[in-house]
Formats: sequence, C-alpha cells, structure tokens
Amino acid sequence: MLEVIIVDDDQIVVFIQKKMISNHEIASNPVCFNKADDALNYLNEQQQPRNKKDFLIFLDINMPNMNGWDFLDCLENNEQKSSYHVVMVTSSINKEDKEEAKKYSMVRLFIEKPIRSSDCEKVKEISEISHFFERV
Amino acid sequence: MIQNSGELKVLVMEDNPGDFILIEDYLSEEHAALELQRAENFKMAKEMLQASKNFDTVLLDLSLPDIKNTETLVKEILALANGAPVVVLTGYTNKDYGMKTLSWGVSDYLLKDEINASNLSKSIHYSIERKKVQRQLYASEEKYRTLFDSSPLPKWVLDRHTLEFLDVNQAAINLYGYSREEFMKMTVRDLWVDDEDEIEQTVEDNFHDFSSIRVKHYTKSRNLLFIDVQSNPIIFGGREARVTLAHNITEKLKAEKKLRHSQQRFKALVQDGSDVISILDENFHYTYISPSAKNILGINPDKLIGSNAFEFIHSEDHPYIEDKIKFLGNKVKSFQLPSYRYKNGEGEWRWLETIISDLRDDPAVNGLVATSRDITSFKLQEKELRESLERYDIVAKATSDLITDYNIENDTFQFSNAIHDIFGYSPDELGTSREWWRERLHPEDSKRVTEATKEIYNNHKKLLNIEYRFKCANGNYKYILDRSYVISDAEGKPSRIIGSVQDITERRKYINAIERSNERLREIAWTQSHVVRAPLARIMGLIDLLKNERNNLDNIEEIIDNILNSSEELDKIIRKITNKTEEDF
Repeated sequence: MLEVIIVDDDQIVVFIQKKMISNHEIASNPVCFNKADDALNYLNEQQQPRNKKDFLIFLDINMPNMNGWDFLDCLENNEQKSSYHVVMVTSSINKEDKEEAKKYSMVRLFIEKPIRSSDCEKVKEISEISHFFERV
Repeated sequence: MIQNSGELKVLVMEDNPGDFILIEDYLSEEHAALELQRAENFKMAKEMLQASKNFDTVLLDLSLPDIKNTETLVKEILALANGAPVVVLTGYTNKDYGMKTLSWGVSDYLLKDEINASNLSKSIHYSIERKKVQRQLYASEEKYRTLFDSSPLPKWVLDRHTLEFLDVNQAAINLYGYSREEFMKMTVRDLWVDDEDEIEQTVEDNFHDFSSIRVKHYTKSRNLLFIDVQSNPIIFGGREARVTLAHNITEKLKAEKKLRHSQQRFKALVQDGSDVISILDENFHYTYISPSAKNILGINPDKLIGSNAFEFIHSEDHPYIEDKIKFLGNKVKSFQLPSYRYKNGEGEWRWLETIISDLRDDPAVNGLVATSRDITSFKLQEKELRESLERYDIVAKATSDLITDYNIENDTFQFSNAIHDIFGYSPDELGTSREWWRERLHPEDSKRVTEATKEIYNNHKKLLNIEYRFKCANGNYKYILDRSYVISDAEGKPSRIIGSVQDITERRKYINAIERSNERLREIAWTQSHVVRAPLARIMGLIDLLKNERNNLDNIEEIIDNILNSSEELDKIIRKITNKTEEDF
C-alpha cells in the first residue's frame, strides 16, 4: 500500500496540493504536515517491520527550523530508505536546488510550484510506484 | 884546469894517515882555498857532519875501524851528508862493487891506487855539479807536485791499464767528497754514471794519446756532475798512467739551460703573447713590431716597418691620442693611451688599449715602446652592459612599480626609489635583508608568500606572480602584485631575484567593492527565487485550481481571498527589495 504525505509550511500550498492529489486520484486523503520534524516523527511511528508500507512524500524545501534538506538527511540513514519516494516541490526556480536534489537517491521527481495536472500525471509514472496506479 | 872559485870545504874520512896526507897534497895542488878536515873513524865523522852542515864534499874510505858493514856505512853517511856529494875511495879492485855503491847513492868512486891530483879534483867538482843539477831537478819536481796538489782544478792520476787511482789532488777530493784513502781504493769507473761503453772506448782508443771527453760523474753523495775530462798519458812512478784534468761544467750547463729557457720564454711572450709590442721612432714610424701582430691584427710585421702608426688609427681617435702624447719628453716615462680603433689586416676596426714607454734614452731600444692589446670584445660587452644598465634605469624611473633586486648569496635587497613613493620608507628606514622584507608581510599572507618563495629554491621555479599585503612605513598595509623573475648562475643555482612590485591597493579596493556588491546581488537573486516566488506560485496554483478544478471546489470565496492575500504579500516583498537595493548602492 502507498501512503501519501504532504510536508509544507504554507497552508495555501497544502490546500492546493491536497486538492490536486485527490482530484488526480493519487490519494483520496493525504496526510499533511506544516513542520518537517512532525512528518519525520509520523514516519518513524508508522514504520514497523510487520507493517510494510510505501510512502510518497511531497516535500517543500524552504521551511523554518527543519528544511527539506535536513529532512532528507534524516531519512537518508533510515533502514527503510527504499520505501520512501520523495517528490521535491519548491517555489524556487534555482538550478542549484535541482542539482542538490539529485544527490539524494530517494528523490524521484522535482516539481516547481505551483503543482499542475501534468505534474500529477508524472508522479503516477514514477517507475518505483507506478504499479500502485495501474487501472484494473 | 878547474878554476879555484871560492873555498872548498872537504871532509876526509880516512884512518890511514899516509893516505890522508896524500889526498891533502893532491887537493892542495889544485885548490888555493882549501879547508880539509879529517875523521879517523865513523863515530868522529858522524859528530863532525852533525856539527857542520856545509861540507862541499865527503871523501869516504870504506875501510874504517869502527864499522864493518859497508852498505850501512855508505847509507848512514849519505843520510848525514846534508846533500853534499859523497865520493868513495877504495882499495878494492872490484869494479862491480864500486858500481854497487853508486846505486846506493854515492856520487863517484875512486881506486886509491889510481888517484892523482887531477882526477881527484875532477871527481870532486863533477860530483858537486851533479848534485847541484840533481837538487834543481828535485826542486822542479817539487814545483810540479805543488802545481798538481794545489791546483783549483780537480786532477788525478790513473793507472792506464786498470784505471785505478794513483794520485788525486785536493780539488778533486773537495769536488767528489771522497777522501784520499777512499780514492786510492777506487777506479775511475766508480765515478761514471752511464755511457760506460763509450768512455771505455775513448780510453782504449787514446791509450797512448791525449783524449778529451764530456762525461757524467756522481759525487759520493750521488750528486750528478757534468765533467769535461782532459787526459794525458804519463809515466808515474814507473807505471804507465794518465794524468786527468776534470773540468766541472755542471753550473755552466745549468746557466746555459736557464738562458735557453729564458730566451724561449721571451720568444713565446713576444711571438705568441696576446700583446703586440712595437717600437716607434719620434715621428711614430714603426721600427720594430713583434711577430704577434700577425695573430692579433692579421698584419705582417715586416710590411709595417717604416710606416706611420697614425695611418692605421681611426681619424676620430687621433685627437685623444695626440692630446696624450704631447706630454712626451717631459718627465713622464710611461703612460696609457685612451682606447682607440685600429684598422687590422682585413680592414676591420679593432679596439686597442696601448701603454707607451719612452725608452729613447736606452740605446738598446732607442724609441717608444708600445704594448697594445685587442680589447674589442671587452668594448662590445661594455657597450652592451651600458645599454642594458641604461635601459634598466629608464624602466625603473619610468614605471611607478618598485623594482627590487635580491642577491640570494649575500642576502641583500636593492630597491628603486619607488620604495619611498609606494611605501613611504626613507633610505635610513630601509633594511636590505630578506628578513626585513618578510617582517613586513601581512600576517595572513606571510605563510602563503613563504610557501610560494620556497618553490623557487626547491622546484627551480623561474617566475613568481603573487598578490599580498605589505606594511608601509606608517603601519598601514598596501596590496601589491609582486612579479619576480629568478636569475640562475652558471650551475643553474638561483643567484638573484629581480622583482617588479605594483601597488594594487586601489584596484584591490575596487575589486573588493565589486565582490561585495556581487554578494548582495546574489542575495537579491536568492530572495527573488525563494521569497518572491512563494506567493506568486501560490497565486498561480490557486488560479489553476479555479480554472481546471472548479467543479470539485467547495469554497470558491476562500480561494479568491487567498489569491488576494498572496498578491498583497507579493507586492510587499517587491517594495522591500526595491528599498534594499536603493540603500545599498
């Protein structure tokens, strides 16, 4: 099973992303966090050996306290690393951020805000998770 | 008849009174002034001979009462006679016996029976005369002996067959260092050094003749002598011998050799030397020019004789030389001419340096001696050096850069005047050591500069191009660009570092300002990409929802409010950026 999580400090952005994700049938009710460390705690709670789950995480970069990069650094050492599929979502159009994102193996996609329909289609095509969206 | 010249003093040894009277009678007939003394026995005669030394003749009767051995008697009397002739009177008729006494040394013998006034007197006179001649002969032999012994030239007598030494003089003893005794046990072969065969041959060839040969001899202490030997055959003590004169020519040969060397040296100096030596008369016409002119100037010395030296000297140089030579004849005997150009055999101008010595007083020279040296290559080098120094001076003056010249071996810096213009150091504040320079490096730059300098010594780096801060006299630091070039000695070891130091403080300040403003621009760009775009992205996302997802939206009012809020936020941010930009520049 695939659980979708949104991490962004901007309520409006969360609202937009939530709408887009549900409208495009990626997830009916994604879990949302305004702080990265809350999301990290949630993931640690959810991750149990018996309960084998995949997570699709929509992650903002610029956040107060723990930013997107710090969040990734924490997940990088996690044993369940392969079950985390991160989509970076940022308002930055800075090339450097895109280059930085490539260093993390968990990052599957890099999206510039605002998230569009075409971006949602690309998410569904990510090879590691595409099998969750196949129509029966 | 024999003349009675002077008194005749005769000792008559005769025991027989009758015989004595007879003798007295005979002698008185012939001699007016006669002093006759009689000894009756040997003992008496001995006493009389010892008492008086001036008997002219001794008449000896062999039969004396107190002595029986005739030979002893004769020899004793001969020894006592003090050179006076002894005439034997005998009764024996045996002639052989009389001959025998002659061989012992008596002057004559007479048979008593045959004696008369005339033959007795004659015998006495003959004996006296013969003795006189004998004495002269003996004296002459003595003279020759002295000549041999005290000759300053070494001489010796050799056995002609065995070449053994038979006699040797003092000069030979002195020269060779052997004692007389040592010589007497040696042959002349012991002196020879080599060429034995040749000497033997010469000796053999000239066995009966005068010979002359030059040989080498060793002294006792093995010093080598060169000897001219002259040798004559003689009879010496009854043996066939050679008397040899040894003329020591060792010193003479040495002196000759020295002279020969000195001549060769002189020839080498004059012919092959790097100087041309010439003799000029008062009008500067050549009377002699050394053979070295051929090598140095490519001119045949013979062709130059008689021509005027000034013909070959560059006309522009004439005045300088004339200015100098006008002092000739004053007290100045020797002076140097200013260097001048001289046309060589190929028609090229060569620079010469000449010293003139006035030797007109010296009859062997009778002229001015000019010693000249070709200094063309030196002149060219000098010119290049001067030009190079001038260039350096001009560059150092023209540039506002500081020119440094560091001598590695001596650890000394030389600075151009810019050291004052740039850093404000006056001459008395200036140090010259490497340490002085190092102390003035900015502490933050010191390590980097030291590391870079090490490259020169360790990795043979030739060029150094480095920026750093250097302390001024007033304590402030200036940014400088130091471009240094390393000069190596013949072995490739760095010997000097020439540096051009440029004051780049202004430029550096400007660059720092630009760097600061760039930093600000980067900040602005970042702000734009992150802060500005955040509300914009929101607006875009919300509008996208309104446009494409309108059917699935519950609260459209809320979305529109959010669009409005985000637009206002965006407006605020843009105003803030504008304000910040204005205050920075």
